[in-house]
Amino acid sequence: PLRLTEVVALRLKSVLKMKTLLVLFAIACVGGVLADHHEHECDALTRLKVKSQWVRAYATGHEREDFAKAVWRAIFAQAPDAKTLFKRVKVENPDSPEFIAHILRVMAGLDIVISILDQEDTLKEELSHLHEQHEGRHIPDNYFDAFKVALLHVLPAQLGRCWDRDAWDSCFDLIAHGIKGH
Amino acid sequence: LSGAKAPTPSAVNRPKMFRVAVLLGLIAVCVAEVEHCCSAEDRRLIQKQWKVLWRDTSSSKLKILFGRRILLKVTELKPDAKALFSRVKIDNPEAPEFAAHSMRIMNALDMVINLLTDDDALDEAVDHLADQHAVRAGVKKEFFTAFGEVLFKGLSRVLDDFDGIAWKSCFRGILGKIAGKLQA
Repeated sequence: PLRLTEVVALRLKSVLKMKTLLVLFAIACVGGVLADHHEHECDALTRLKVKSQWVRAYATGHEREDFAKAVWRAIFAQAPDAKTLFKRVKVENPDSPEFIAHILRVMAGLDIVISILDQEDTLKEELSHLHEQHEGRHIPDNYFDAFKVALLHVLPAQLGRCWDRDAWDSCFDLIAHGIKGH
Repeated sequence: LSGAKAPTPSAVNRPKMFRVAVLLGLIAVCVAEVEHCCSAEDRRLIQKQWKVLWRDTSSSKLKILFGRRILLKVTELKPDAKALFSRVKIDNPEAPEFAAHSMRIMNALDMVINLLTDDDALDEAVDHLADQHAVRAGVKKEFFTAFGEVLFKGLSRVLDDFDGIAWKSCFRGILGKIAGKLQA
């Protein structure tokens, strides 16, 4: 049989444990708030989050085509002039195999950079490769902005509630910055 | 009906009918061959088996390793191919340049595989890849044959579920088309 002192001691112990937990919880909350301030950075954890959300959003097969088409519809809705860049790949008929193959190539490029977000050297190399590919095409900055808005508009439709806008916002900027070279 | 019987084929007509039957039989065999070669089921199997490589968040590391191994093996089998990759530093396979390039090759494969269920767009994508390779002097058709062999061998090792017949039946045609605009 437990003696009263023992019972009290045990209770005290559990109360202390609770308190420790509460303190830890409070620290975690403050930490979270502080971390929120830093969330505009595409840091290591944010990159992992973007990577895993991308895998789900990017999908496969016909779903991937639909995803790509939705992004491009949203781009042209904002910047109709951007269509002139895609004349060669038959933008006037967005369901044509030429246009579909093209937008999937662009998405594939984005897929490469996102999937190596956590490998700094390789990422740097790929971004400079993409920079070279885009350099001669004189793509105005507002087209990159339209791409970002389009992507951030379509992603939640793909992912539902489980997506982090700030994470995408900051990591997309990092990627676009690398491709534009400024 | 009026009771008129179908005229029995005369002896003169028989060889002609035989020839027609043989022709029809041949057509049936050919259609079956084409159907078997990269059928809808083959394509579905390939997509399903390939997906496994891309499921995990850290799979890019595996893909880079795999792509790097394939390129190194192909250039080992076809030494003339090695110089083609000097710009991406094949002599230093651990370099980020070569890692990024390995990833690009794996990613092109991924694009093609995901387009297997959209024949028209697949043709366009493959045609574009053919153009991209045709402008690079020194690329030979035989490199693609070697690439296919190395790829299938590699896939059979990294994928627990690998249906070689399905992969070969689709990729012989695809790799053939990518190499289709090359001179040699």
